Amino acid sequence: MLKSNPGLALCILIAIGAICFALFSGDPYYVQVVIWVFANAALAVTLRFVLLIGELNIATAAFFGIGAYTTAVASTILGWPFFISLLAAPVIAGVISSLFGWITLRTKGPYFLLISFAFTEIVRLIYTKTEALGGNSGMIGMFPPMELDAYFPAIAISILAAILFGLYAAERSNLGRVFKAIKNNEDIPRSVGLNVIGLKILCLVIASTAVGLVGGVHAYTNSVIAPADFTYFVAVLALAYVKIGGEGHIVGPIIGATILTLAGQFLHSFGPYENIFYGAIIIGALLLVPGGIVGLGVRFKAGTLMGRAGR
Amino acid sequence: MELQVQLLMNTLQIGSVYVLFALGLTLIFGVMKIVNFAHGTFFTAAALVVTSVMMWSVDTIGMPIWFSYLIAFVMALLVVCVIGFVVYFFGFKYVLKDLNGSFILSIGLLLLLNGTYLILYGGVPRSIPAVIPGNITILGASLTIQRLVLMIVAAIITLGLYILVHRTKLGLSLRAVAEDQEAAMLQGIPYRRVALYGFLIGATLAACAGALMATVTPVTTVIGDDFLVKAFIIIIIGGLGSVLGAILGGLLIALIESFGGYYFDPSTATLAMFVLVVILLIVRPQGILGHAEK
Repeated sequence: MLKSNPGLALCILIAIGAICFALFSGDPYYVQVVIWVFANAALAVTLRFVLLIGELNIATAAFFGIGAYTTAVASTILGWPFFISLLAAPVIAGVISSLFGWITLRTKGPYFLLISFAFTEIVRLIYTKTEALGGNSGMIGMFPPMELDAYFPAIAISILAAILFGLYAAERSNLGRVFKAIKNNEDIPRSVGLNVIGLKILCLVIASTAVGLVGGVHAYTNSVIAPADFTYFVAVLALAYVKIGGEGHIVGPIIGATILTLAGQFLHSFGPYENIFYGAIIIGALLLVPGGIVGLGVRFKAGTLMGRAGR
Repeated sequence: MELQVQLLMNTLQIGSVYVLFALGLTLIFGVMKIVNFAHGTFFTAAALVVTSVMMWSVDTIGMPIWFSYLIAFVMALLVVCVIGFVVYFFGFKYVLKDLNGSFILSIGLLLLLNGTYLILYGGVPRSIPAVIPGNITILGASLTIQRLVLMIVAAIITLGLYILVHRTKLGLSLRAVAEDQEAAMLQGIPYRRVALYGFLIGATLAACAGALMATVTPVTTVIGDDFLVKAFIIIIIGGLGSVLGAILGGLLIALIESFGGYYFDPSTATLAMFVLVVILLIVRPQGILGHAEK
């Protein structure tokens, strides 16, 4: 399989390289940046996974937060061991998302977009009003156990990379094809006897489980979480990664996340100009490069880069 | 009794602003089939313009307050129309009927405009002097005259919009485009021009809401964003694209906020709104007055 797919082989090599970098590099800052890149890539890829069925799921941000809070509660309040706390995150996120999907996926398009937006803000409101979850200031003290501490960055990157490869495999499977068929015209899969709503819920649950795990990793990486980390803005940035990288292929969001995360490191000092920059880059990418970087690559391959006519 | 009247007054006053805000959103959705996440920036721009114009005209020139407010109001609408025109021509024009594209574009605009406001105005909230001083007592409930006038003006604007949409030729083409764009074009309705009008009317409604709100609350550079989540809940309840739905939804949400906020607390009221949305989605996914999904 790898011989016929050099791109995949290259991605595996990059992932292994990143894990080795985390194991052997002496500079914690750069290791942290690599983890951010992988975490943002995973966020963007999970957002894109629900785009496969044609829905824009702002609640990606909510399930990211639910995962992080689950791990935080499991490790600090309940005192569960490291790996179990980490695994609780995708489980809880998956359960809540199945309920959320069961209710909301009867709608689609703009309604689903708005509902998932409102859900994200409401979940955040619940954190701020719950004393046990630390209210506005959030929760602290999620640390990996001492004996694993040195290896934690490598573990985090391995988990995040596994999520990326897992979602790639899911997209390439028959299930992934059915998801795309639903996006194209959901009446056709329905006409051959498929339970379209059930499949949509499954798609949402897969993505939310994955992003819940990303949230769990985030809780341990940061050791501090607060409601303000989980606004709808998380999904907006994820969408920016998807759009800039290109949504036609799964590497698009990964490339987008890498570029913008690295660029963001330089922009943190700019205050209000940071948002202006992000706004401008999002608008620019949308209007000038509709297919994203991957789209540019495809056009370049086809030799039509210069001869593009309109949108 | 007195308390209930007070809460009811409160409902009408918050509700009237919600209605104006949600009407703009729902109108833009109806005509262009896009959700404008940057709608709050129109509201904010109008409120900010009102504060700066009044600061200049009252303090520097010494105009009477009511007169300078009128000028500020008109200026606010003009500025927002210009902003709306620019963002339509350099952005929204390219993403008509493209839900994901317009979402990204409007989020980009939200970041860009809010960042610009913050640089221009800074983070300090600004207030304007009372335009119409004094209180009035209705059935034992006390109310500033200013808030009463706000309600009346908002009601007049809402009524005006209702007449515009349901009784004029422009309204007819707006509704035709919302119903079926291609059929409307076949009848000779210039879709792009109608979309532009719909967008500008929507932006102007947000500007009216913002300029009115500036009289009763301190203005910050993110004031419009607070309305966004509630406006979304309102248009989900009322049905996207429905004028009457936005009015009823706005009043209902204001009722829950006012009474729920008093008897329980504001966050419980917000949660109650969301529970309402969930129940409604299970029973009637297309909203109270929305059309059935195709």
